[in-house]
Amino acid sequence: MPVITLYYNKLKSLIKGELSTKDLIDKIPYLGVTLEEATDDYVKIEYNPNRPDFSTIYGIARSLNGILGFERGAPNYVINEGEVEMIVDESTQHVRPFVVSLVAKEITLNDELIQEIISMQEDLHEGIGRRRRKMSIGIHNFDVLKPPIKYTTVSPEFKFIPLGEKEEMSMREILEKTDVGREYGHIVSHFDKYPLIMDSLDQVLSFPPIINGELTRLTPETKNLLIEITATDLKADEDSLAIIAAALSDIGAKIESVKIRLGNSVKITPDMSLQQMEVDRKLANDLLGLRLNDEEILESLERSRISVASKDGKLTALIPRYRVDILHQVDLVEEIAYGYGFEKLTPTLPEFKKAGKYHDNLKLIGLARDAMIGLGCIEVMNYHLISEKALYEFTKRKPKTIIKVENPKSIEYEFLRDNIFPSLLIVLSKNLHEEYPQRIFEISKVYSKDLRTPNGIREDYHLSVATSHSTANYTEVKSILSSLLLQTFNLSVNTIPTHHPSFTSGRAATIVLAKNNLGIIGEIHPLVLESFKLRNPVSVFEVNLSKIIDIVKQKAS
Amino acid sequence: MERKLLLSLIRNGGGLLEDVASRVNMSIDQARRAVEWLRSKEMIKIEEKVHHKIEILGEGKRAIEQGLPERRLIEILKRLNGEAKLDELSKAFGSTPQEFSAAFGYARSKGWISTSSIEGKVIVKLLKSDQSALEESLLKEISEKGLFFEELSEEDKKVVNGLIKRPNYLMKKPFKIVNISLTELGRKTAEAIKEVKEIDYLTPDLIISGKWKQHRLRSLDVEAVAPTIYPGKKHPVQHFIDEVREAFISLGFEEILGPIIQPAFWNFDALFVPQDHPARDMQDTFYVSKVKEPSIASSRLIEKVSRTHTNGWNTGSKGWGYDWVLDEAKRLVLRTHTTAVTVKYLADHKVSEAKVFSVDKVFRNEKLDPKHLAELHQIEGIMVGKRVTLRDLMGILSEFYKILGLKKVKFWPTYFPYTEPSLQSIVHVEGFGWMELCGMGIFRPEVTLPLGVKNPVLAWGGGLERIIMARLRIDDIRELYENNLGWLRKVPLCL
Repeated sequence: MPVITLYYNKLKSLIKGELSTKDLIDKIPYLGVTLEEATDDYVKIEYNPNRPDFSTIYGIARSLNGILGFERGAPNYVINEGEVEMIVDESTQHVRPFVVSLVAKEITLNDELIQEIISMQEDLHEGIGRRRRKMSIGIHNFDVLKPPIKYTTVSPEFKFIPLGEKEEMSMREILEKTDVGREYGHIVSHFDKYPLIMDSLDQVLSFPPIINGELTRLTPETKNLLIEITATDLKADEDSLAIIAAALSDIGAKIESVKIRLGNSVKITPDMSLQQMEVDRKLANDLLGLRLNDEEILESLERSRISVASKDGKLTALIPRYRVDILHQVDLVEEIAYGYGFEKLTPTLPEFKKAGKYHDNLKLIGLARDAMIGLGCIEVMNYHLISEKALYEFTKRKPKTIIKVENPKSIEYEFLRDNIFPSLLIVLSKNLHEEYPQRIFEISKVYSKDLRTPNGIREDYHLSVATSHSTANYTEVKSILSSLLLQTFNLSVNTIPTHHPSFTSGRAATIVLAKNNLGIIGEIHPLVLESFKLRNPVSVFEVNLSKIIDIVKQKAS
Repeated sequence: MERKLLLSLIRNGGGLLEDVASRVNMSIDQARRAVEWLRSKEMIKIEEKVHHKIEILGEGKRAIEQGLPERRLIEILKRLNGEAKLDELSKAFGSTPQEFSAAFGYARSKGWISTSSIEGKVIVKLLKSDQSALEESLLKEISEKGLFFEELSEEDKKVVNGLIKRPNYLMKKPFKIVNISLTELGRKTAEAIKEVKEIDYLTPDLIISGKWKQHRLRSLDVEAVAPTIYPGKKHPVQHFIDEVREAFISLGFEEILGPIIQPAFWNFDALFVPQDHPARDMQDTFYVSKVKEPSIASSRLIEKVSRTHTNGWNTGSKGWGYDWVLDEAKRLVLRTHTTAVTVKYLADHKVSEAKVFSVDKVFRNEKLDPKHLAELHQIEGIMVGKRVTLRDLMGILSEFYKILGLKKVKFWPTYFPYTEPSLQSIVHVEGFGWMELCGMGIFRPEVTLPLGVKNPVLAWGGGLERIIMARLRIDDIRELYENNLGWLRKVPLCL
């Protein structure tokens, strides 16, 4: 989640009224942001990705002025018609189709402002830009350029001096040899030709989305800027430009539009006209649990920097262009709440007459758990993800089907368990220095392939027990098993001799009830004990609780 | 104490207080107290008498060491072959003439010697040399034990009196003695106790036969520490899960369950999370290798969701404005929130009123560290109703937290992709401070309308582990699932 640092001095200078630092800090959460850190000089706040206009202190100030009541309604942004044209070549359309642009004039820059602009650019790249894939921003010193600007594609061998370099490099080289090239190159590298923005003198502005040309580098002396944003998504393109236009305008620049020409069509960007959406008053009052009249709704929206036009009994919200998050009337409902003041909302308790109810299966699982506790076993809880080593290699088992995740951060947590008992053996191996006897159990879901299920993967609850001490033996766990099933479910099972690689030969059995294979029971093979570095004998059983619950429910019906 | 005394009296008879006390290993004072108590119960009678203790004086001691003088005399006579002239004998005897004369007299009165006169000289003849004298045995006895005169037989008394007549032999010293003896009641009680033997264990046989009455169970050291035993126990996380479930039940919610492995459709798409949202990244979400093409939903529903993403469909929304891809929705994930299950529940039941909840596992593709787990537990609750409001949601949460003992709550606005408006609740945890817990909000119409749900849906959810850590005072989240038996055995469930 993006973070921005706000220095009190600067912020207060942008607030159109009196505000103490304490009041400022108290008010901040009511913007819908999280206070990360507060020092004597600044606050660090984390804002949500739905408000990219919070990527500058100016955007924060706009909202603060609203809820503090110092400014009302949508801010007005004047866009002057500019002379600059950008010609878009057809070849860009299957590579990176969209482009918008603006010119910002009479800007007085300094290092701090440059940093703010770059910071905004980075946050927008991460958020709306989805790491530049969706859209990327180029910021240029306008005065070194001769319009019209061209947006086209060129061969990867095309050379220019990229930002920060002294020598010309081909675009291919840039992708291979620079950090930005390596990080973002994948966005364009699969195309035959790469996007490029030049002016009429073939001077390179930028190689979107990778890097600018050295030519148009910003300095504190720069007076006029050209912003170009290329994108694979039109909304992302236009939203980003609007946010930048508002921020630069708030810095004091005069914004001029750019004509974008593609073939016969002409588009003028930015378009900062207010968006319109009808206000659903009933929806607002119903959802918020309030009874606001039109006056109050209007005032609340205005405090959220949204203007309202009233005509023929209809309220229409006029939303500033930098607000990219208003998709539906419910978004206006939230804006009303912001303006009204969330701190003023008091809790109510709804009426409801039905009783609560536990899930049947979980109730039965709870009974099994209680029985295990009553039998003196301690419950453990392990992860569902486990290493291949522990699940199969150490237990000497060969899987029939492996269920695993594609992108684990560690091979310790890669496979989804098909049995619980390997985890129990791990637990025992971590507790060699704790008192014996050790009797542990776990109830958890395990995964297996089953093409009859919608996903192809079946999830069953298993219950597994492991006992360990110097004389741990089969009889002990069988007593526990029998007692558990009889006391909890009134079921008697048979244990039919079987071979299982994890268990000592002649000391393993399948747990069977009326032809249903319910699980396995036995004494763990010494080879397995050695793999897990265990020193005491271990006896184990594992039953499929889901199957048992099905049987119990069937019997009951 | 008293019991011991009674037993001793009946076994060994009455006696002097001092004797009885030493018999039962008590001090005189202890014995005196016990005796007083028994006397008050009329089990003992006390006789105070003056008795005379026989004390041995100097000559008496000498007589014990060296033998009675008359014995010495006849020993000498024996050495002189049983016959000697008087003055010869006297000389051999040594000692003073008075002593010789006394010894001579004693020996003659015992019949041990005879005298005859030959030529005017007295000749002494030995008659008996091996007869023991009562004096000797008595003296011995007196020197070994302290004897009281009154205890002696009549015959012995005569002998002692005789000895007392001898100068510096014996003396009678008056002693007040306390003689304790059993009364009839005391005798009966003592008899009863005598029958009782001390045992260590009560057995079924003793109980059934009634023989337990004849025994006494030995006292135990009830203060001694008993061996530690470890009970079977619920995992503390499960304990908290059950506490939370109970809170939901008490608020009238019904529990639902669903699969952990979900197609992206239910985990993301049905929740209006766009397909290029960062949360869907391989970085943040676990993707499960497919075993078959999953069947995810009806084609009608898929169509509705697809259109909602692209242009809002009939929901009244603008949508996200991109082309929705079915293959992306078919990818399998380990659910990142239980909302996937909740939303499917809404789709399957198309309810106009409902209150359901779940507390279950969710997965995030994180690297494990003291603050992050890959596998967590999440709570989720929803309420559907014609007139439910955001304020109702605040009310339910406040009540829910109250049941869990969290009385101070704050609500702040925030953002989630599938709810609008959205709130974040912050609670005050004892000993910890303010902590962000559950997020909440009203499901966006882009979520509910394609599913066929027309009424507003209040929803809230949050992770459990942080609050469990605060309660158990744990700093490293991984400790919760270390399964260290020492910790599991000792962690208190009642806090």
